[in-house]
Order: sequence, then structure tokens, then C-alpha cells
Amino acid sequence: MAGKKLRRARLSQELCERLSRHQITTCQDFLCLSLLELMKVTGQSYYDVQKLLCKVSRACAPKMQTAYEMKLRKSVNPSSAFLCTTLHSLDKVLHGGVPCGSLTEITSPPGCGKTQFCIMVSVLATLPVSMGGLDGAVIYIDTESAFSAERLVEIAGNRFPTYFDSDEKLFCMTRSVHLYRELTCDSVLKRIMSLEEEIISKKVKLIVIDSVASVVRKEFDTKLQGNLAERSNFLARGASVLKYLAEEFSIPV
Amino acid sequence: MQREVGSLPLAPALRARLVAAGFQTAQELLETGPCGLSKEIGISKEEALEVLQVVRQECHGDAARSAGGSGTTRKCTALELLEEEQAQGFIITFCSALDNILGGGVQLTKITEICGAPGVGKTQLCMQLAVDVQIPECFGGVAGEAVFIDTEGSFMVDRVVDIATACVQHCQLIAEAHQEEDHLKALETFCLENVLSHIYYFRCRDYIELLAQVYLLPDFLSEHSKVRLVVVDGIAFPFRHDFEDLSLRTRLLNGLAQQLIIIANDHKAAVVLTNQMTTRIGQTQSTLVPALGESWGHAATVRLIFHWDNTQRLATLYKSPSQKESTIPYCITPHGFRDVQPAAVTPNAEDTHMNPRKRPRREEEK
Repeated sequence: MAGKKLRRARLSQELCERLSRHQITTCQDFLCLSLLELMKVTGQSYYDVQKLLCKVSRACAPKMQTAYEMKLRKSVNPSSAFLCTTLHSLDKVLHGGVPCGSLTEITSPPGCGKTQFCIMVSVLATLPVSMGGLDGAVIYIDTESAFSAERLVEIAGNRFPTYFDSDEKLFCMTRSVHLYRELTCDSVLKRIMSLEEEIISKKVKLIVIDSVASVVRKEFDTKLQGNLAERSNFLARGASVLKYLAEEFSIPV
Repeated sequence: MQREVGSLPLAPALRARLVAAGFQTAQELLETGPCGLSKEIGISKEEALEVLQVVRQECHGDAARSAGGSGTTRKCTALELLEEEQAQGFIITFCSALDNILGGGVQLTKITEICGAPGVGKTQLCMQLAVDVQIPECFGGVAGEAVFIDTEGSFMVDRVVDIATACVQHCQLIAEAHQEEDHLKALETFCLENVLSHIYYFRCRDYIELLAQVYLLPDFLSEHSKVRLVVVDGIAFPFRHDFEDLSLRTRLLNGLAQQLIIIANDHKAAVVLTNQMTTRIGQTQSTLVPALGESWGHAATVRLIFHWDNTQRLATLYKSPSQKESTIPYCITPHGFRDVQPAAVTPNAEDTHMNPRKRPRREEEK
């Protein structure tokens, strides 16, 4: 939205050309300038510049929705609001399960079972909706190389023996879990940025990142100066992209 | 009439031409007339007419101001301000201790900033206020609507439904206890669907969308004149990461603060912002301070800091022009933001909150 070109904001052609001579091509550049600077650059009067500002803002601003509309939208399809974890007490505390459309973080000391939980949730997401799953593919970004496909099959076979009774069903399930091994922060970030198209093409219904902390701690030593800012930058950027993906596609992350 | 040409709000190129041609004051421009102006400077007659109209508008505004009429600058005595302030409503928070230290609740026409660590209850309070602003006047509210600008994505509709249901139930109990005509009439309109439809929600993904939305807010508020609360949940989030140019950030934040102050004053609305905390590393120890720097600290009129003390949540009034600094405990119940004493929804409980002089019994939570 911020990178939207001014041409698409319905400004006149000559105005766009004039602005591009001052290196102002996107809505972001336009809105970052003060009123006086805009007057200088566009050569228009104070009131006209205010009207232009409104026009450009309208091109960037988010749409309004009332809380009531949001509630109606959610109540239309209540079952898709959560991914049930099949752990009854956990589901009760979470009010239904892992929420779709927002980020959920699992932290613990090593060895408590985070990766096992991630693997189990991946199995659950591939189950059909009638069994409490999301009937979709899973994107699993593994930074510790802790994912084991054998364990995935083992969990599936033992947990739902009636469903996974044939090898064919197992293959189907494993085919819908897409594993990406990333070992550096940059590659993790690149992978997250490229996820949007994959989600649409592969009908992904769950994103798992195991784990964010390990790759960040490996690369950024907080004792060195300047690394703290870079690290928070990387984390914040990744977080905002993931939030956008979760909300846009209504999937749990 | 003696206004200098250089200060008129015309296009810079036109202004430069006028000054180069030797015009010094607005009076001279008006005396020349459009045809003479167009011939002297070399612009078309229509442009000259426009220039003269702008000049006349400006001079008229100046004259009105100097005559002491109600121009764009507001002049009034402190007595008038006092009367206005006393007649003004507050937005209650349903936590009587917090209302006490704020002097009645969140004030209209002021910017209140809520800072705190993640998970301490800032968004909960914002959602509570978005519901509380709609309480009808006969129950002690301001009967307004709310605009909720969300940058972090932490607005959960289900939670707002819970809070709104509890609030409506509370008002119903009061109405049953007092049995007055206007209470019952107000209750007809104060129901869950209406409460939810009067919360206008905007989801801004980055700082550009936030800036654009704040530019468009005055128009939006003129259309929806009943809005009495603007909440920006997470004003720090879009500005904290990915900003190489810190001076640009300060400039944008200051501009944002000024626009919000104008909105708060013009539309008699309360503006509530939530901020994050950052660590300031001192000589021997590090302290948690509100994010976005010192210059942002001047933007808000009232500053509340939420923090933890073991398992108890505390709210501290850090900056306020009229109340003194104090700390109170609060808690978050399934019904929303409440005092530490679990406020069961009974007629007695709402007596305590209607009567601000009664303090709730403090229970030590372990």
C-alpha cells in the first residue's frame, strides 16, 4: 500500500511527472513531506495541496469496518476460527484452540516438546474439517534441522489409526507438508517474503516456524554494538509480514 | 490590509512573480484589479481573479480576527474554559480506582497515552473504553461512538463482544434497581448490535497507512459527528522498526501528534494512544521507559504506565496536568477491565463505581 505509485492514486499526469522530477514517485514519498515542501514541489496553493493530500491519503488508507461487521463475518463460519489441538485442557484455556488469523508463540526450555507439538499440529492441519482439521497444506520452516518425517508418519499412524489406514492416505498427508530448511536469518526472511504466492498456489492452511530464536541467537551476538538494532529490525520485519499473511489468509501461524 | 505579499497562501511560482514585479502589500494587489494584474505579471485573467479572491479571503479573515470575532484563533477567558471543563464528560473505565486517579475517567479533548510491557492490558483497556464511550448519558456516560485504529492486529472481536455484553448487563441491572423512564428508553438503543456497529475499525499495516488515515480523520469525524473517542492501538509499532532516518521519524511523529491534538479539540473527542516500552541502558542498571523517545513524551497530555509487580498489575499516573502521581492495582476479568476486588455484577458494585469517594477494598493477591 505504501509503495503505491502516485499515478494509480489518480493524480493528473503532469503533476506526476513534475513530482517524479523531484524523486517523488510513490505515496510514501508524498506523505512523508510537510505541507510547505509539498507546496514548493507541486507549485500549488495551500488549499490545493491540502486537497491533494486528502486524495493521496484516500488511495492509501485502510478500509473502514465496524466491529459488528467483523463479528458477523466470524460467526458465518465459526468452525474455521480455531485449529483444535485435541488436547482438551489446552483447547479450553485457549477458548477453542490455536486461533486462525493471528500469531501464536510457543516457548519453553529445551527438550519440553516444542518440535513434537509442531509436528502434531502439522498432522492435525492436514485432516479434513469433519475431523477437526483444516484440510490444507502446511508450510514448515525448519531452522534447527529437527524435523523428522518418520516421526510425522508415526504420529499420524498412531493417533488416527482409523483414518490413516492405508499407505496412500499417509503419502497424501506427507505430500501436503512442505518443509523448508533455512539456516540463516536472511534466508528465513526471504522465505517468509515469498510465502504469499505459495500459500495461494498450494492452498496452505498452517505455517510453522521452528524456531525463530535459534537462528537469531546464532547470528546476532547482543554483546556487540549495533547488533541489537539489527536483530530487532529483522524480527520486527518478519513479524509484520507473518501477521499480514495470517490475517490476509485467516490461517494460524 | 497591510499584509505582505510573501505571506499569502499562493503557489510559490506566483508569489515569486508578484514579489519580482514589485508588489509589497495585499492592498496594492486589490487596488490593481484583475486585468491590470494579468498584464503586469503575464498571467491569464482567470488566474489573476483567483489570486485576488484568495487575497480577499485572507484579508477578510485577518480583519475578523483583529476585530475580536470568532475567527480561526480561539480566544476565551479562563472562566469560560472552567465552565466548559466542568460540563465536560469523562469516559469511565469501569475501574473506579483508575477513574479516581484520572480525576473522573479519560478526559475528552485531551490525549491520553498508555504505556506498558507486552501483555499487561493496554489493548484490553482500549477495548473497554471503546465500549464505555457508548454508555448513554443517563447512566453517566458520554453517549458517543468510537474509532479504533489498529496497527498491531490485536483487536479481537470476540473479546469486545464479551466486554460489551458485560457492560450492557451492568446497565440493565442499574435500570432495574432505579426504574426510571429515561433509563429504560436508553436501554432500548444500548444493545449489543448497536454497540458493535458504532465501533469503527481501521487496520493500518505500516506508518504510511497510519499517516494517511490520520489525514482523513477530520473528514470522517465531520461525517460521523457522534464520535467521542479515537483509539490508536500501537502507535509505536510501525515507527520502531525499519526506520533509518530518525529525524524523519521525529518529524512525522510530531506532525501526527499535532493533528491528533487538533482533532481532539475540534471534535471534543478523547484520543487514546498505546505505546510500547523500551529499555534504557544506564550506567549501572537498565530501566524500562516508554518508547519513541523523549520528544514524543511531550505529545500526550496524560500518561499512564502499566507494569507488573510479581503477579499484580499496577497502573501509574506518570504525567498529568491536574492530578497527582499515584499507583493503583487493577485486574482483567472475563468482563473486562476492573478493580482488584472482583466486581460481581450486582447493584452494590455499581454503587461503589458511581460514588467515586468510596474506594474498593484491596485484596492482596498471591
